[in-house]
Amino acid sequence: MSALRIIAATLILSAGGAFAQQAAPSSAGNELQKAVEEFQIQTKRLGMVEGSVPVRRVEGRKQSRWHGRLFENLRNDFLDAVPHEVAQRGGEKNILRRNQFGFNVSGPVLLPRLYDGGITTFFTFTYEGMREKIGRSSLRTIPTLPERTGDWSSTVDSAGERLPLFDPSSTAPNPNYDPGREVSTGNLEYSRMPFAGNIIPASRLDRHATEVLTLYPGPNSDAGPFFRNNYFVFSPEVNSANGIITRIDHSAGERHRLGFGLNFSNGQDGASPLFLNDANPGPPVRSRRSRRVFGEHIFTLSPQRINTFAVDISSSQLENEPETGDGPVFPAYQFSPYLGMGRSTSLLKSARNQFVVSNSHSVRWNQHRLRTSARFIREQVNIYSPSYPEGMFRFGSGLTSLPGINNTGHAFASFLLGLAEYAESSVVISPSYFRRSRYAVSGADQWEIRKGLVFSVNVTVELSEPRKERYNRQSTVSLAALNPVNNRPGALIAAGVNGQGRAFQPYVATMEPSAGLTWNPFGATKTVVRLGYGRSYSPIPIYSVQWGTQAFNGTPTWVSANPQLAPAAVLNDGLPATDRTFPDLRPESANNTVADLVEPNGIQPTYQSFSLSFERELPGAFLFTLGLGHAGGHNLLLGSGSSNPNAIPLSALQYGVQLNDENFNRSVRPYPQYQRFDVYASWPEGKYRRDACSLRVEKRASSGLALAASYELSKQMDNYSGPYGVQDYYNRANEWSLTSGNNPHRFTVSYSYELPMGPNRWLFPVTDWRRYLVEGWSLSGVTTLVSGDPLALRPQFNNTGRVVDSLRVNVVPGADPHVSDPSPDLWFNPDAFAQPDDFTVGDAGRTHPSLRGPGAQNHDLSVNKRISLSLEKSMEFSMVGLNFLNHANWNDPDTMIGPASAPNVNAGRIIGSRGGRVIQLGLRFSF
Amino acid sequence: MSTHTRRQWLAMAAAAAPPEPRTVLRVPFRSPGAPPLTQEQVAVSLNGKPARVVRLLAPDTDLFLLLTLDLSGDLSLADAARQTILKRLAELPANVRVALMRAQDSLRVAVDPAAPRETLTAAIEAFTIAPRPGLLNSIESAQELADSIAARAHVRVAVLMVSDSNVVNYREDYSNPVVNSSDSGDMSRRFPEGLIKEKIRQIKARMQTGESPLYLVHLQYLSDVLNTAYQTGLQDLVRSTGGEAEFCRSIAEVPTSLNRAFDWIMQSQYLAEVESPANRGRTIDQLVSAGGREIHSRPRRQFTGKGQR
Repeated sequence: MSALRIIAATLILSAGGAFAQQAAPSSAGNELQKAVEEFQIQTKRLGMVEGSVPVRRVEGRKQSRWHGRLFENLRNDFLDAVPHEVAQRGGEKNILRRNQFGFNVSGPVLLPRLYDGGITTFFTFTYEGMREKIGRSSLRTIPTLPERTGDWSSTVDSAGERLPLFDPSSTAPNPNYDPGREVSTGNLEYSRMPFAGNIIPASRLDRHATEVLTLYPGPNSDAGPFFRNNYFVFSPEVNSANGIITRIDHSAGERHRLGFGLNFSNGQDGASPLFLNDANPGPPVRSRRSRRVFGEHIFTLSPQRINTFAVDISSSQLENEPETGDGPVFPAYQFSPYLGMGRSTSLLKSARNQFVVSNSHSVRWNQHRLRTSARFIREQVNIYSPSYPEGMFRFGSGLTSLPGINNTGHAFASFLLGLAEYAESSVVISPSYFRRSRYAVSGADQWEIRKGLVFSVNVTVELSEPRKERYNRQSTVSLAALNPVNNRPGALIAAGVNGQGRAFQPYVATMEPSAGLTWNPFGATKTVVRLGYGRSYSPIPIYSVQWGTQAFNGTPTWVSANPQLAPAAVLNDGLPATDRTFPDLRPESANNTVADLVEPNGIQPTYQSFSLSFERELPGAFLFTLGLGHAGGHNLLLGSGSSNPNAIPLSALQYGVQLNDENFNRSVRPYPQYQRFDVYASWPEGKYRRDACSLRVEKRASSGLALAASYELSKQMDNYSGPYGVQDYYNRANEWSLTSGNNPHRFTVSYSYELPMGPNRWLFPVTDWRRYLVEGWSLSGVTTLVSGDPLALRPQFNNTGRVVDSLRVNVVPGADPHVSDPSPDLWFNPDAFAQPDDFTVGDAGRTHPSLRGPGAQNHDLSVNKRISLSLEKSMEFSMVGLNFLNHANWNDPDTMIGPASAPNVNAGRIIGSRGGRVIQLGLRFSF
Repeated sequence: MSTHTRRQWLAMAAAAAPPEPRTVLRVPFRSPGAPPLTQEQVAVSLNGKPARVVRLLAPDTDLFLLLTLDLSGDLSLADAARQTILKRLAELPANVRVALMRAQDSLRVAVDPAAPRETLTAAIEAFTIAPRPGLLNSIESAQELADSIAARAHVRVAVLMVSDSNVVNYREDYSNPVVNSSDSGDMSRRFPEGLIKEKIRQIKARMQTGESPLYLVHLQYLSDVLNTAYQTGLQDLVRSTGGEAEFCRSIAEVPTSLNRAFDWIMQSQYLAEVESPANRGRTIDQLVSAGGREIHSRPRRQFTGKGQR
């Protein structure tokens, strides 16, 4: 036996070269030596040693070097449920034919007789196509046939009362008007005669309006109430898309790795027309193209040092397709609440390009991991988007109303008379080519202070260039410049003119710190406490609009001197003449328009967040996470609906009906030479705060079951969010209320379960042909339950002389807004709120602090059946069901509060529900 | 040696030990925390029928360890893993042989098991991270290699894979990224984990023929949908081989998890060589028990005859 041991030790020495890992064990060294020999033989055979190509055999055959999949996903309306909102109005399912198909293949790059990528050069290629035809239905309100001829004798308001029309040609000042009293039917400022029988004589109908109406369809539905919802449209929308993703990865030794990728996608977003002619007010058909090329080089200098260099170039393009050929687009006519004619931005062509070059370097040094990085970003937006190249006419009820009296007159009646309260035209001479660069450097350290305690810190410094236009075709109103017409602040300035630089904002440098702490308390590795803090800025976006080019691409507008008394334009006469030609770089050239206003300081939105979490792994593979989070932001960029630097202070409401006079109205604005400002989602006035706590429990796979459940309790407040806008632009604190989309309770469960059926499983452990039926079944699902949105109440009428854009309701003292048993019949008590008096503001919050809409739930499920065709090939059938329980979620209640004289009969009621099961079948062949 | 003498020798050998069965099935199992088991204490049944245990290799017997590194992410995690591995390797007893493998791109030999200990240590210290993970591309090869070794030598063979892989960083496309961003009606990505689940199912099906246990220490637990499916699948995969998986949620857990994995292999992993039934069928249930206590059960899909003595 001793001799055998000696032989074994000798064998090990000879096999391992000069010196083996350790001396041979005394008992069975020959077995270990056999293992080493077998290792050496097999690693050569399997191509695992340097310079060889790996070989794998499956079922006796060489395993394919290329792998991938073919797939088809099918949707058809016969699989879906009728959406509840459609079923409730007696509708049927819309047609749906959808096919999504494609393939993926990946493996070593093989060029026959030229190149074998082996393990060093690898590619993956994915193609996906989609063809879809989907019927869209829409229920809208259009004028009745009698109304189109001027007969409004049967027209009623939302309370079912007759809606009287008044003849604007009979307007006369009321000599008995008492300015000291509120305007009412007993104290009219202007008298006006009603149309006899509430019928507009045919001779008074505007000729152009009558001609245009030949393209307007007639009512085809009586969903109601009160002749509303009388136009049901069902039309198909055809969508298509084709795209590829390609990636090539090449390793040059163990230290260099090169990656290259190309993404390509062409798509067409169809649009179901609301009218089948040029006057279609629905969205246009759009074509989209996106391209992306990227490359990276990763250089591993040492085990403790790695460098990554990357270049990423992307472009996305969007183009609207005209309704008919290349001819002129149809003008737009707006007479809300009825469906208008024509649309905005019929002609749109835009491209957004981005070039990113970055380099990062990571070093491990003692207990630190240091990372430095630098990044350069160049953004380009090329855009051509005239809003109304053939003009837009907006009609209001004022000109057919009894001036100062609510619930009289109608916008469509004003249209029939051809009396527009506002008109606008777009003169776009050339596309805009916006450019901007950003430069960022950052440094980070992750420091293991001691075992179980890691501190990480990151600081990023970014320098943002302001937006520039390639040909300096940019302009804005400068609030610091004096207007030559009225010598008041506010005059147009243009880039590169009169000493103005190429941009209107300065370069902005920001520093973004963040820090985190990870702590395993008391050395307990199953418990992790994480603390995090971060402060960040968001660069001001370059939007795909020609906002800020007003001197070059003008928008002449015509505004009624008093929308109750005089039209801005008469339809039959067309757009009034303008003496402006473009470019118009005069300081006063934006006067009397909605002027583009660029915020001059380049203030960026600022965000801060703080988080604390406690993770604990429990027996049974449960992971429990408790989290607390606070996030806040200020200087958030708001749009023109939430910010209006030219708003009239609410104190001006004291002037009452004088405010209806355009000249007077203008005179009380801070910048009277402008109607208002268009700040296009770039005015930094927003503020929000969010506090949340969450609980998450995960259960890792056990018997084929994986489960994760999370619950979040949150509260989010802000001073800007919708749905109806801001009442007082000068008192943001008064706008502070619950964020309109804040759902305080959110519960989500996701699960995945491999059904225990088939051989060696406890259900149907059959081993014959039936195994192919019972094995390979699995389920995945997500269930979400959320509480309702805060309700935003709004009055039916806004008679504030255009001082208040979004009027709130009044709270009725002592009246409880809640009802004991909320139901669709009565979700809240509408009597707890009231329409404010004319020229007063409401005292309710922007959103109600305790009234919420109904909660919602959704259940999605995927059922999969896998059939193994061989050890390398399989087929998987899947059925994905969104809202598979076909659960109906109630709509929000009607929150419009009418005056006591004409209450909204639906206030507080929920009308209808929404949702419906959607099924997709899929088949995937994997090889 | 004359014919007579040879016959005498053979007769003596036959009397000394029962004959080796023609086909041996290797059944790895772990018995953590229990006193050392003897061959007599261990009972193995195959498809419910008792099978003769030909040999039991206990934790103190020879071990061949295939240490496979798949480091593609955080330098700190990789460093923590390297330090722990080096510490454990220095403590290994003499009857353990270690082969260091690199998992990126495909399974490659980094250090031959016959190389000196210093070479192994230096290789681990110099082990560089690569940006693309390779765990899924090498896990089958690792088991196949381990099975071949186990079929040749009466040693315990284990595969320990150390990975920090993120499923979205693979060269292959398991993340099912959006191809057509204009396709607003796409439902196929509602459950995006389908591709990674399918890949792991394929691997698992192929590995059901394998015999060697796999152990995995994942250095970075990630909780997004794709990585949850990936990591859950990995755990299921290694458990199906009789091995175990550990996932670290912080750097501090890296040494603990790696030590635990080494302990599993060094202190509680057994290998029972059992006589294979003549009529085995395509699937077989293995059940290991000791003293009436079930220790380990594993369904295996089929025999292929591969690597069987």
